[in-house]
Amino acid sequence: MIKQEFLKELEKALCGLPDDDIQKSLEFYSEMIDDKIEDGLSEEDAVSQIGNIEDIAKQILSDIPITKLVKQKIKPKRSMGAGEIILLILGSPIWLSLIIALVAVVFSIYVALWSVIISLYAVSASLLVCGVAGVLSFVGFSILGNAVPGAFIAGAGLVCLGLAIFMFIVSNLVTKALVWLSKKIWLGIKSSFIRRGENNEKI
Amino acid sequence: MDIQLKRGLLDICVLSAIKSEDSYGYQIIKDIKPYVEISESTLYPILRRLEAADLLTVRTAEHNGRLRKYYHITELGLKRIEDFKCEWQEIIGIYNFVTREEEK
Repeated sequence: MIKQEFLKELEKALCGLPDDDIQKSLEFYSEMIDDKIEDGLSEEDAVSQIGNIEDIAKQILSDIPITKLVKQKIKPKRSMGAGEIILLILGSPIWLSLIIALVAVVFSIYVALWSVIISLYAVSASLLVCGVAGVLSFVGFSILGNAVPGAFIAGAGLVCLGLAIFMFIVSNLVTKALVWLSKKIWLGIKSSFIRRGENNEKI
Repeated sequence: MDIQLKRGLLDICVLSAIKSEDSYGYQIIKDIKPYVEISESTLYPILRRLEAADLLTVRTAEHNGRLRKYYHITELGLKRIEDFKCEWQEIIGIYNFVTREEEK
């Protein structure tokens, strides 16, 4: 591949990214190739030493913050006409409510996840309270002379304590899993954004 | 080598490659390569990151009828190198501690 081909390919691979980022990286790699040629390499060798275009594009992409990518996507290619602005305002009851609904859904999923965690810990805590109360009531029953039902309650209390410890461990595991899962989902959302950005422009 | 560690070290290497005089991309790679593995696609994001952090500035100059970017270290960049030297003293201390534990 010669330099011009390489640069054209790279530009294609970077399509959809902010213009100044594309411009800067093309300048950088162009200068690199020129310097390699000046150092005595053939044009072909110089280009092949630079490496795989896909990898280069991925690296550049990963270095641009997601907020900049989103801005680039949202930013209209040309300024909007009066008609479009009016349509946008007239349509706001629809798209605004859709966005609110979307945010609400995401938020409620998040809340649901956390309420699962909280309820697990609540179960664990109430078992702990039951256990302690059961054991303490054994003392009370003994003093009043009802040692046998007291012992039964104390036994039940000890079972509760055991369950409380077990539930606590389970809750910890579930919490860890949920935190891990939500991180994964967030990453997935981010990367889908980036890929979509690339594909749109390629078509 | 650990990726995070290598990343941090490469930043310092690039800064010290332009410490005594301004340099350009290809020269920086040639200077660093004997010590750390570095490629064009690794250098590019480093330069942009250092520029964004005001550790170096870029100027474009003509060279053989084409444009070339020269990188100039800032006061902040020089300070970063000095900080690195201090940090490294600490790391040597930690290394000594770790290896002493092993010898026992």
